[in-house]
Amino acid sequence: MKISLNWLKELIELPATVAELTELLTLAGVEVEGIETRGVNIDKIVVAQILESVQHPNADRLSVCKVDDGTGSPKQIVCGAKNYKVGDKVLLAHAGAVLPGDFKIKIGKLRGVESQGMMCSSKELGLGEGADGLLILPQEARVGAPLNELFPGDTILDLEITPNRADLLSYRGIAREVAALTRKQAAPAQSSAVKEVVTSNIQIAATEKCPFYTARKISGVKVGPSPDWLRNKLEASGIRSINNIVDITNFVMLEIGQPLHAFDADKLRGGIRVRVANDGEEFLALDGRTYKLGTDDLLIADEQRAIAIAGVMGGEETGVTETTTNILLESAYFQPASIRRTARKLGLISDSSYRFERGVDPAGVLAASQRATGLISELASGEAAPQIESAGAAPDFTRAVTLRKGRCSQVLGTDVPGEFIRETLTRFGLTTSGDHVWRVPSFRQDLTREIDLIEEVTRVFGIENIPAREMSRYFAESQTDREHDRRMQIRRTLIAQGFYEARTLSLIEDTPDYALPASIRVRNPLTSDQVMLRPTLVRGVLDVLAHNARAGAKSQRIFEIGRCFLAGEYEETSKLALVMTGPLTEKSWRSGDERNADLFDMKGVLGSLGLGELVYEPMENPRVAVMASVSLNGRRIGAIGVLLPARARELDVTTPVIIAEIELPAVKATAKKFAGISKFPAVTRDIAMLAPKEVRHAQVIETLQSVNEPLLASAELFDIFADETGEKVPRGQKSLAYSLTYRSRERTLTADEVNAAHARLKERLKAVLSVTFRE
Amino acid sequence: MESQLEQIRAEALAEIDAAADEAALEAARVKYLGRSGSVSLASEGMKTLSKEEKPRIGKLLNEVRQSVTGALDSRKAALEAQRDTAAFADIDVTLPGTPVRIGALHPITQLQDRAIQIFRRMGFVLADGPDIETEFHCFDALNTPADHPARNEQDTFYLADGRLLRTHTSTIQIRTMESQPPPVRIIGPGAAYRRDEVDATHLAQFNQMEGLYVDEQVTVADLKGTCEFFFRELLGKDARVRFRPHFFPFTEPSFEIDIKAGALGGGEKWLELAGCGMVDPAVFESVNKRRGDDAYDPERISGFAFGFGLDRLAMIMSGVTDIRLFTENDVRFLSQFR
Repeated sequence: MKISLNWLKELIELPATVAELTELLTLAGVEVEGIETRGVNIDKIVVAQILESVQHPNADRLSVCKVDDGTGSPKQIVCGAKNYKVGDKVLLAHAGAVLPGDFKIKIGKLRGVESQGMMCSSKELGLGEGADGLLILPQEARVGAPLNELFPGDTILDLEITPNRADLLSYRGIAREVAALTRKQAAPAQSSAVKEVVTSNIQIAATEKCPFYTARKISGVKVGPSPDWLRNKLEASGIRSINNIVDITNFVMLEIGQPLHAFDADKLRGGIRVRVANDGEEFLALDGRTYKLGTDDLLIADEQRAIAIAGVMGGEETGVTETTTNILLESAYFQPASIRRTARKLGLISDSSYRFERGVDPAGVLAASQRATGLISELASGEAAPQIESAGAAPDFTRAVTLRKGRCSQVLGTDVPGEFIRETLTRFGLTTSGDHVWRVPSFRQDLTREIDLIEEVTRVFGIENIPAREMSRYFAESQTDREHDRRMQIRRTLIAQGFYEARTLSLIEDTPDYALPASIRVRNPLTSDQVMLRPTLVRGVLDVLAHNARAGAKSQRIFEIGRCFLAGEYEETSKLALVMTGPLTEKSWRSGDERNADLFDMKGVLGSLGLGELVYEPMENPRVAVMASVSLNGRRIGAIGVLLPARARELDVTTPVIIAEIELPAVKATAKKFAGISKFPAVTRDIAMLAPKEVRHAQVIETLQSVNEPLLASAELFDIFADETGEKVPRGQKSLAYSLTYRSRERTLTADEVNAAHARLKERLKAVLSVTFRE
Repeated sequence: MESQLEQIRAEALAEIDAAADEAALEAARVKYLGRSGSVSLASEGMKTLSKEEKPRIGKLLNEVRQSVTGALDSRKAALEAQRDTAAFADIDVTLPGTPVRIGALHPITQLQDRAIQIFRRMGFVLADGPDIETEFHCFDALNTPADHPARNEQDTFYLADGRLLRTHTSTIQIRTMESQPPPVRIIGPGAAYRRDEVDATHLAQFNQMEGLYVDEQVTVADLKGTCEFFFRELLGKDARVRFRPHFFPFTEPSFEIDIKAGALGGGEKWLELAGCGMVDPAVFESVNKRRGDDAYDPERISGFAFGFGLDRLAMIMSGVTDIRLFTENDVRFLSQFR
């Protein structure tokens, strides 16, 4: 809300500087979001009248003027502007004046002719762009008058009023707050005694939405422009001046906080009916737009049609115009929730709805009507009806709230003297008979509970006056802690292998490539590329891969750990996705391994994460050239594969793209057990064999394990090759070489027992896999 | 014989001394000490000597053998030393190191983990909650009025079944209190979603961190101590922390936390970085109702809660001016956070 300090000053004595006021409000919870200085406060600029103007002897585009600056001795000024005539009143900057932009005015010669100052444009004075040339003042301007008499300075604060503080949405409200904070007295409200209130021809058919409605007839008004003081106040507060009647209603709203509306009484057909709209009822509002209303929207109507969307906006047909002579002035209390719903639904937030939906003070309804009536009589010669017509009754929001002794200190954690509490609450307008029960005024509808009163005390007490307490408690590690630690460990392991961590968005495009039957979509997406909650991280990391490929990256390693979503028992699961492509090492003078990453490099990476023994089994997918499922302890946790080259090319990647995604299994806290180190030497024997092409490594290992040979400690594949030409290895076969390690924990093995074990294993390989040995 | 031995010695020592490499030295060894080397031959000649001559010549022979052996050893050591030195002589120590590929944690992960480490030292444990939430956990339980604008379809993502994507991590407060009695001392990092148009300072999905401490006799003094300590740990001892009264439906009294610190782009002005307050009794009441007990009786227990956004904090701390860089994951961006 924009607040003019010139206006506020009329209501309450302000701190000496704007900075002090800003600090005061901010630390009391009224944040100052902006400070704007209006007008100009530059010395040595006065109103002057141009007495004569002649052509400069040495410059075509300049003239030499004589101007009267009120000192009695006319000044000679050289001027380049053309938009003036002799007799015009302008602003003259004397020598010594400093214009915005640190432009200093001095006496000097321009093309050989002395100039004793400068006549100014509005731009030069910082008064806005304005027209080119000199700022020509109205003839009423007094010669010799200083600039700030014409453009009085003002400071406008932009205040952020939190939704609970509806009482601060007016100058009186802010003045009341400043008064409470500075222990000053606000000026008394200007309001004569309320006239007689009579029930009348007003009917309220929706008393819950509108408990209280008043209207006052004022006849014989002269609609016209508002006086300067009124226009300036509204404009300083961000409201455009329309005409004196509308301006007065807005002025009272700003001053007191009660929105008002003036109807052209001659355009009304019968008495006021406050009712809800018919389903689909259309209404042409003052903004020139037609709104479609429903049975939840409150209307002000006459006996024939709607004349206003209650509390939101009046109607085009019944608005005050230049020809209006009789008005009906509405002042009412509307239920905040009803106004809020209607305003949101219509997307129509007005200064009026903004206040009503936060809750105005019902006690201000009549006072505002009275204040506006007085101003209309004064400024628009209106003749007010002796009575205010009304229907319903103003709800009474005053209430009693108990603040127990010691409770405030208990919440704040420091001693707050009872006297301080009493004084503070009293200054905020609360009253007590001394028994800890406080009477809350109707403008503070946010104060309903003990804690609300404590908050008021806290604001004034100042958290800076509460000593900070540092203490802790012991808490057992949570499952989330364990999961976080494991995720960080996985992240760091991957970083150490050259992977960059990506964090992509959970909402992705809904494409057949990634959508699954159990995919979850949002009902109201903002953009078409953020529609579906990702069932997989693959889409995200491939996008990142493509982005970086397009930026020129050749060798990439990307991973992400994040939540994935699928309807079902485990709706949200934490997954890890990895993608790698391009040369394993960067090109360097050490000429490292320039081989492109492949599936087995990715398997190596997964194996380094310490998740347990991962089992890979072939599977098929139309978008993936080679693919394997990944299982842990018999449960499938993900998959690994190489993208089809055509898919990779879509991502602008020409090297093989290896991708893996696994669910992160639950963390089990198991202490590692030491298995001892054998004191006896190991013996290794190699096996080189030719196997049918179909024989897989896993089968070789399974076959070796099936022997249950106690001396066999490990079997490592160290060479594999096939030769399509059939020269080195027969076609349809491949050569495999394993290194088998034998070891006993009890003794040094003899050559004989190793030979026997080795022979048994070879025998089994030959029998099961039809291999032949190359020895 | 004696003069012959002396001559062998002189020749051998000269030759060994002159050996330019290990091959020449080996040749010298064979020439003098080899099976048919001159020292060996001289030792054969001992047989012909008289009894009187034998001890004297034998002694001399030994001396010659020792001095030749000694000369061979020292010359060998000298040659090895020479070779070793030569081996390292031409190394250009300014050549670049062998490249080791190192990636980087995402800057948001780094900040999040740093914050977690600080809070853990203060006795906080991690808590969690789902991204997909009910209106109850996101709004009702947090004392948000039924017609509050935040619940609007314009501001919040809804699913077809009426659930929503949480608009703040404060849902974790409710989830935690539902599942365990006090005391509770938790932090909950996570994603939150709002239907904001994406621009340089807004994303529809962002990262928050929530904190909650509920116990007997928790006060504003504890809230202040905790938040001040955290931000000074995170931003440096020069960080100034200001609590400005504010309004949130789920805390009362409520504050916004403003910070001035050199780590925040110079520390010239107050930056609004977090919200906090004492848990509103209405929040405890709705948790109790849900639990079906009065474990969180506001007359008996109290608590504070706080929350802050990681993205904006990371932006200010790292001088990032466009929040979209965090979701673009350009390696040229990520590698600067190694």
